[in-house]
Formats: sequence, C-alpha cells, structure tokens
Amino acid sequence: MNSPTGQDSLEAEALDDTATIVRLYAVTDGRTRARHHLALHTVLGPGRRSPRPGLAEESVRIVELCGQRHRPLAELAGTLALPVTAVSVLVSDLIDAGALAFPIPDRRSEDSDLQLLHAITAGLKRRHPNATAKAG
Amino acid sequence: MTQFPQPATRATAKLVIAGGFGVGKTTAIGAVSDITPLRTEEVLTTQSTATDSLRGIEDKTTTTVAFDFGRVGWDVPDPVELYLFGTPGQPRFWSFWHDLSEGALGAVVLADTRRLESSFPAADFFEQLGLPFVIAINRFPGTTPRTAVEIREAFDVDEQVPLMFCDARNADSVAGVLITLVQHIANTKSANSALLDA
Ligand SMILES: Nc1nc2c(ncn2[C@@H]2O[C@H](COP(=O)(O)OP(=O)(O)OP(=O)(O)O)[C@@H](O)[C@H]2O)c(=O)[nH]1
Ligand SMILES: [Mg+2]
Repeated sequence: MNSPTGQDSLEAEALDDTATIVRLYAVTDGRTRARHHLALHTVLGPGRRSPRPGLAEESVRIVELCGQRHRPLAELAGTLALPVTAVSVLVSDLIDAGALAFPIPDRRSEDSDLQLLHAITAGLKRRHPNATAKAG
Repeated sequence: MTQFPQPATRATAKLVIAGGFGVGKTTAIGAVSDITPLRTEEVLTTQSTATDSLRGIEDKTTTTVAFDFGRVGWDVPDPVELYLFGTPGQPRFWSFWHDLSEGALGAVVLADTRRLESSFPAADFFEQLGLPFVIAINRFPGTTPRTAVEIREAFDVDEQVPLMFCDARNADSVAGVLITLVQHIANTKSANSALLDA
C-alpha cells in the first residue's frame, strides 16, 4: 500500500485507473453524477425507512455501515473500496429512498467554531498527556 | 461526566494532512487514528480538449487519485469526531485539493528535510486558500539537521505559521502537531474577530 518512493506511487496510481473506473460504472449503471451535493466529509446516518428488497450489495453494505455508526462519505468509499463518485451516486439514491439521512445539520457559527476548537484541544490532550505542542 | 454511548452525538471536524511524496502522511494519520487509515479513491474527469466537447466522453480524460482517511473520536470532555484527510502527494489536480480542503478547519504540511521542496506546493496551496496551517518536519534518521530558521526561510511563509519537528510514527508527537494546529486556528480566528470588532 505505501511505497517509499514517489515514482512507485505514480505507477501504481496509473495501473489502478482502469480497474477503478470499471468498478465505478458497474455499480452506478454508468451514472457519474449524484443528485445530492455530498462533500467528502458529509456525515450519513440511517434513514426512517428500511431499504427496499433487491438493493445492490454495495447499497446494502452502505445502509449497514451507517446503521452501526454515523460515517462520512470518504469513510464509506474507503471501506467499500469504491471511488467516492460511485458511493455518492448510491448514497443519493438511498437518501431519496429514505434509507439514509443527514444526521447533523452542517451549520456552525464563529462562536461554536471556537468552542469546537477548544473541545478538540482538550480531547487530544486528554488522550495524549505526553503530547507537547509548540507554544505561540 | 456521563459517557455518551452514541458517536452520533459527536460534533465533527476536519483537518487535512498534506505534503510531498513519502513524507509520512499515511504514517502520521495512522499514528493517531482509531481506524487503520483507509486508502480512498476518487475518479476525476477532466476536459482534455478545449474545443468541441459535444461528442462527450471521448473528449474527456479520466484519472484516479487516492487519498487517506482516518478518524479519531472521544466523548469526554466533549464529544468530538476528528476526521483526518491525507492528500495525494502532489497537488496535480487543484480541483481535488479544493474538495479535500472543503469544510476543513486547517491543515498540516508535513515535510522531509531531504526533499523540502516537495512540500512547497502544499504550503503555497493553503496560503492561497487562506486556510490556517502549520509546517511539521518529519525527522527521518540519518538526515542532515537543519534549523527551523533555515527551513522557514526555504518555505518563505508568513512568520505566524508555526513550524515544528515531529516523528510521524509517534502518536504523542503527531498529537502535539495537531494540538499546535488547532491552537493556531483558534488564534487566527480570535485575531480576525478582534479586527472586526475594532
Ligand atoms: N524512520 C522513519 N520512517 C518513517 C517516518 N515516517 C514515515 N516513515 C516511513 O517512510 C515511508 C513513507 O511514509 P508514508 O507514511 O507512506 O508517507 P506518505 O506521505 O503517505 O507517502 P505517499 O502517500 O506515497 O506520498 C514509510 O515506509 C514509512 O514507514 C519517520 O518518522 N521515521
Ligand atoms: Mg500515503
């Protein structure tokens, strides 16, 4: 997975392309555009309706994964080893079918932003008491 | 304080880990992540010819880029889930770097003293984007020591940008870099709102 030199990474990337693109079109029936705007960090959770029978295996997995815990789009794509675009298309279908939903409103004020930053610092320090930050 | 059983209640935040090839991005994410970093792929479609795109797919080039995803979450003192996105080695596809940075609070530019210049594009990118970032030098053994002053000069970034050394394999060390980043983001925000209030 990790290669020590950049050259290897470039070659691996080039070789992977065809297989990845084939997988993309296969799971989405050739669709490459999602109906919902989903960012890589968009969090998804279970919807109100159970998924209809006969769903594609990948879609069933997505519903399962989001039922276990809320997960962002990038995590779903990485877990399923599918390109983000493919997962966006499937997720959009599942949202429209009521099988997935957006659990957290993506709205934040400047004030709560600062609170969030303090919560991150506090949490990281608690988990890593030996971590030293650069002062300033 | 009560433990929240549902990660559902966690506030989410996004940070980006960037830098040149092989500087230790995946290693750094893995050091602090609750999950093994996921190598995640995206397919990019770019217009290969400026003329006559009516014929559709034949005029488009499709490429794959890979990035890392990791996350670390906790419920005390406040429930937070931190998403860590690792960039591809080079900002070859600017539009994708924008997607990776969308909604991010800030970024770490990781660098290796043997090839500092491979991380310059990342620093330039965040500077132009106006996203707060820190520079973290991942010290590989056997590398010629260089001073922070030398490195800062080479990067030619604003004096406010924190610069520090780290070991990407060490969780505490990476956590220290993230804490420095988050404090820098908070300082930047406070300074900006003080300016607005004045
Ligand atoms: N000795 C030492 N080795 C390291 C350190 N950080 C990373 N490595 C090693 O260096 C190599 C590259 O690290 P990666 O984490 O894969 O780097 P990367 O930035 O993700 O690389 P690309 O994704 O290919 O651009 C791996 O073999 C790591 O085990 C470090 O701090 N010290
Ligand atoms: Mg990597």
